[in-house]
Amino acid sequence: MKKDGNLSVLVKGVLRENPVFVLILGTCPTLATTTGVIGALAMGLATMAVLICSNVVISLLRKFIPDVVRIPCYIVVIAGFVTIVQMFMHAFLPELYELLGVYLALITVNCIILGRAEMFASKNKVLNSALDGVGMGIGFTIALLAMATIREVIGAGTFAGIEIPFMIDHTVGIFVKAPGGLMVYGFLIAVVNIITKGKVIKKKEFSCAGCPSAGVCNGGCANKKEGE
Amino acid sequence: MKSYIKSVVALTAICAVVAILLAVTNFVTAPIIEKNAAAAANEALMIVLPEGEDFTQVDLTKYELPATVTEVYTEAGGGCVVKLVTAGYGPDMVLMCGINANGEIAGATCLSSNETLGVEKTYGDNVKGYTVDNIDSDLDTASGATMTTGAYKNALKDALNTAIIVGGGSADIRTEEEKLADNLKTALPSAEGKFTKWFVTEEVTDVSEVYVADNGKGYVLISGESFIAVDSDGNVLTDVSDDVKSVMSANVEAIKSSELTEIDITGYENMPDAVDKAYKTASGNYLFELHAAGYGINGDKYTASGEYINIKVSVTADGKILACETVSQKETDKIGSVCGDASFYSQFNGKDETNYGDIDAISGATITTNGYKTGISRVFEAVKILEGVA
Repeated sequence: MKKDGNLSVLVKGVLRENPVFVLILGTCPTLATTTGVIGALAMGLATMAVLICSNVVISLLRKFIPDVVRIPCYIVVIAGFVTIVQMFMHAFLPELYELLGVYLALITVNCIILGRAEMFASKNKVLNSALDGVGMGIGFTIALLAMATIREVIGAGTFAGIEIPFMIDHTVGIFVKAPGGLMVYGFLIAVVNIITKGKVIKKKEFSCAGCPSAGVCNGGCANKKEGE
Repeated sequence: MKSYIKSVVALTAICAVVAILLAVTNFVTAPIIEKNAAAAANEALMIVLPEGEDFTQVDLTKYELPATVTEVYTEAGGGCVVKLVTAGYGPDMVLMCGINANGEIAGATCLSSNETLGVEKTYGDNVKGYTVDNIDSDLDTASGATMTTGAYKNALKDALNTAIIVGGGSADIRTEEEKLADNLKTALPSAEGKFTKWFVTEEVTDVSEVYVADNGKGYVLISGESFIAVDSDGNVLTDVSDDVKSVMSANVEAIKSSELTEIDITGYENMPDAVDKAYKTASGNYLFELHAAGYGINGDKYTASGEYINIKVSVTADGKILACETVSQKETDKIGSVCGDASFYSQFNGKDETNYGDIDAISGATITTNGYKTGISRVFEAVKILEGVA
């Protein structure tokens, strides 16, 4: 694998390897928490905090963790950080804690975090892993904010709860419902593909070898697909 | 083998470190979370007791409180907030009532309910300042929603009594049924607490209800607030004036003459179909068991449950209703079913053929009301037939 520079590691998550629009990870919280900008921002920042911490710790422990138990180890580390974030949020940001509800705890099973642990942190040094966490976190947050802005402004006529003249009287309710979320999601993926000219999805890192389950599956699903 | 041990050690070590980190985080955040939760709970309590501060939840097991009370909080200023669950038309009407240090209601609100009209949402706005001494006499229930607001009012009374008890005082927390049972028992101890309510079939004076001892030891007549006991020989046992004694003795004589004899109505050709059974008392009054077609069954037009409204009516020989009661009904729940409430059927008491229609109809249940009235009208026809004037 070609080694990227620090800056490259940091910025790739924003667009080139955006976890939401390019890697198509973390779809569930993306759809669920983007009905409002505040919730999306809180979710993005909480996920970024967990992502940075888990990337750093997993990178630190990459030589200590035996290969066969790496996934349970990653899950324990991730779940631990999610619970810590949850506790701090409950204590110091109770309104956001209530707003995010169950999706806060579900960061544990967010594919972005486990995906980055497996694809990046377990193979790279601490600084790069931390930068990857920051970059992916920013990319995730920007993606959520983009979706939430479109959905809240068109669907509710507000931005971060502040009423927007004209829009408030001309809302399109479906945008804050699940179908509207999927529509906006698809639209933004298309936009990102146009901007990147569809190159990113062809990279090997996102194919079978980059999959978090590649070690267990050993390319089985790819072989099966070819055989079909 | 070595790799297995290494895996176990690694996973265990990571779990242990994470557990320690979580414990430390919990140590830091738990008191803040608890404080926030208490502040949020206080905020809810302050809706009904705005001047309250530092609320503390009371252990209910230490006190004997009304059954409706589910939570009690006292506050530093001497006030308290009581959470209650009562039933109006529907079950589980959850109320919260704040009472200040002077024992006055500082605020009340309905947290959730299953009522039909929604009156309970605003009724609490009118209850500020009432105390246990004046709530019964001065606070009105809402017209057209007596079941809901009556239950609300009773719950507020429970809250006021709870404040007194929790404050170290004593209060009467018995339900109306318990109070009645206790009063009957006190008035006529020889009846051993077993009474049957007498269905009025005779004209009695200054008496609202009569209870007959099941063991035949006598009667208890309720006159205003007084419970007057009379033995089976007509001797008044309760200490009342001679005038009252003579009136009550006369009432008991009338009650004794209420022995019923069933009349064979099949022998009367024009007897209305609605009349199921007819009885005559020794004094010449009548008691009818009849059925009326309401919304439950009304020909081809409105047949819902398929059941008639069954009514019991006593009437004098000259056609004046002495008492009326709905025995059973399967009208539309919470609408026509109001015909089963005493507040509806007792309106017919004292009415005759000329004015029996002058009653308050059940809101939203015209078919039930009209069907009931038609049933009552058959009583007047039946009396005329039995008296031979029709």
